[in-house]
Amino acid sequence: MPQTTIYVSPRSLGAPDTRPPAVATTDLARLFAGSPALAGVSLRVDAGRAIALLGPNGAGKTTLLRLLATAIRPSYGRASVDGLDVDRDAALVRERVAYLSHATGLYDDLSARENLRFAATMLGTPEPEARVERALADVGLATRADDRVRDFSAGMRKRLALGRILLGSASLVLLDEPYAALDGDGMRLVDQLLGAWREVGVSVLVASHSTERFESLLDGRVMLDRGLVLETSGEGVTSEPPSPSTATRPSVVGAAR
Amino acid sequence: MNAFRTEARIALAVARKDALAELRGRHATVSTLFFAAIVLLLFGFALGPDAARLAAAAPGLLWLAVVFAGTLAVNRLHLLETDDGALEQLALYPVARRAIYAGKAIGGFAVMLLLGVVVLGAVGVLFAVDIGGAWLPLLVTVVLGSAGVAAVGTFYAGVTVRLRAREVMLPLLMLPVLAPLLLGAVKATSAALAGDPFGELGAWLQLLVAFDVIMIVAGAATYGYLLEDG
Repeated sequence: MPQTTIYVSPRSLGAPDTRPPAVATTDLARLFAGSPALAGVSLRVDAGRAIALLGPNGAGKTTLLRLLATAIRPSYGRASVDGLDVDRDAALVRERVAYLSHATGLYDDLSARENLRFAATMLGTPEPEARVERALADVGLATRADDRVRDFSAGMRKRLALGRILLGSASLVLLDEPYAALDGDGMRLVDQLLGAWREVGVSVLVASHSTERFESLLDGRVMLDRGLVLETSGEGVTSEPPSPSTATRPSVVGAAR
Repeated sequence: MNAFRTEARIALAVARKDALAELRGRHATVSTLFFAAIVLLLFGFALGPDAARLAAAAPGLLWLAVVFAGTLAVNRLHLLETDDGALEQLALYPVARRAIYAGKAIGGFAVMLLLGVVVLGAVGVLFAVDIGGAWLPLLVTVVLGSAGVAAVGTFYAGVTVRLRAREVMLPLLMLPVLAPLLLGAVKATSAALAGDPFGELGAWLQLLVAFDVIMIVAGAATYGYLLEDG
């Protein structure tokens, strides 16, 4: 079972209103094989906010998260995290961003503890041994720490991937469908994490089909469809329509049809 | 100095992780050694029972077996990055990409070195070649050759790891680049076994050193781009 107080360790964050926006994009577009997955998104998310990205399959939620995580590069437009350009300053952005994708990024032949030890080294976690044990306890896997990940269920793998995020000191956490594959305890763990990050001023973007589960933990919502922002609501998030030059690009215009 | 220490720590962590995964059931090393042994035996059958001919061909057969088996070894070391998005996660860690390359190359070098030493011993036994009298220059040649194969193989395994046809593409890309190394290693091995009558061993070893340095520097400088997913 997860502990009642989860240990999150963000980098030293100032008051949210003194920080640059957690996310700022301008006409951000990304094409895959000529088709736009994002078609000109201009979005601003204030620091320290928890924002949901909503929309149907293919809306561009995952693509937006992957662009912000520096996993892929923009085709057009710009995006920044904490004022750092995701393309030009990718190495610095990686120090500030934690990303939970659909894939867990875990090694099947390593145990849960070995996976987290490796992550702690790669993340430069201080006092790595203690932090790994704490993270294992926080995500409810302390009793399975020496088991190989190959034998874990999808939900346990997701818990362990969340534990990896706890080893870093991200100021922006990107979660792609974090509740998927989790049981009741696992879902409560995600709720706890969202609450803990919010409390210490970490910005969070959660891609999901629905916010029913975590509505009370959110500041705002962004509705995406076919690579465009349909609307934003709540606090801490604003958007603008694509600029005329982006909206009329031949490769991007198809998204609006 | 601190940056160097950090990168060394990252490289060792990557190498240790690969070694752990390998020990836990990938069996890349064992299958690679068996493959090298089979290659040697088949070459032996193809050349016939003439002991003099086998001994003369031994340096070439040694390095062909090492290089062919080496393509398997470096490919297997990258395959574990295909576990459930592991490669993308590796690319997202806030570390110098050259440190990741170094870690992968260290793992590849360890496997190649083991492979080189075992194959050298097997050549001595199978082809009745006396390696005892020249063990030091032969060992130096194996070390330098293994480093070169690991440096090139790590880079090209990074190129092909996302491809479906990686098992085919890796040797197609890697083997032509290894031609200078193959030449230098075979010549150095021949010279060492013959007692270096023409004083050429040093020159061939220098070629291997130059090849290794160029490939390690080029691999470290460019490997980061291979981790990008577009």
